[in-house]
Amino acid sequence: MATRTDNEIRELSPEEWDQRVDEQARKRLGMSGEEFERRLNAGEIDIDDSPDVTRVAMMLPLHATHK
Amino acid sequence: MPHTSKTPAEAVEHYRGRTVRLLSCVTSVHVVVRAYHLSDVPHELELADTAKMRGGPLSIDVAEEYEVRQGADGWHVEILGYLYAIGYEGRELVSYHWHPSGSSPITWPHMHVGANIQVGDRWLGKVHLPTGAVGLERVVAMAIAELGAKPLRDDWERLIGEAAIR
Repeated sequence: MATRTDNEIRELSPEEWDQRVDEQARKRLGMSGEEFERRLNAGEIDIDDSPDVTRVAMMLPLHATHK
Repeated sequence: MPHTSKTPAEAVEHYRGRTVRLLSCVTSVHVVVRAYHLSDVPHELELADTAKMRGGPLSIDVAEEYEVRQGADGWHVEILGYLYAIGYEGRELVSYHWHPSGSSPITWPHMHVGANIQVGDRWLGKVHLPTGAVGLERVVAMAIAELGAKPLRDDWERLIGEAAIR
């Protein structure tokens, strides 16, 4: 078995990242990224509701700012 | 003691390099990051998608939040939250979470197991089983050494050892 090279890193701009959040929210949860973020912040959705909820919540750029 | 760098950019480069080398032990799926810039807002790093691992119906998903901090010896990356999930046959087998901010009252590191067991009126899979902080290297090591994922590179043990030093 040959040692392979490292994985690729793709840098996304803030706009591209927002688009990614939206795509993942629609794919995994059936709602827009904007709606998901609003409902999460309002407490209507718990981050541990499901693996998909946790996964998308971890993508939100402001998620960890409330330190 | 964390690895320290002379500049924030170097610290991020070191962190990214360490993480992609670690993930390359079990998957070739690429890593996605928000372009780094100096910011008070934490940054994200994650696998582009849930990745199948070689050696059976196992998969892995990874997301981390981090920020760059300055210490007495230089700059280093601090992990502020994570999600490390191992799947089996398309269902979550075990996941390690730490999301200390936001609306959840569960601010400590914990794990969920994909066990279909009822405990009173609760399902075990919904219970937050407390853990200490878990490093990605331990999850990758578990996937290979204990769950049977086939490593994609033959220096995986060295990389896991290096990652553990941070």
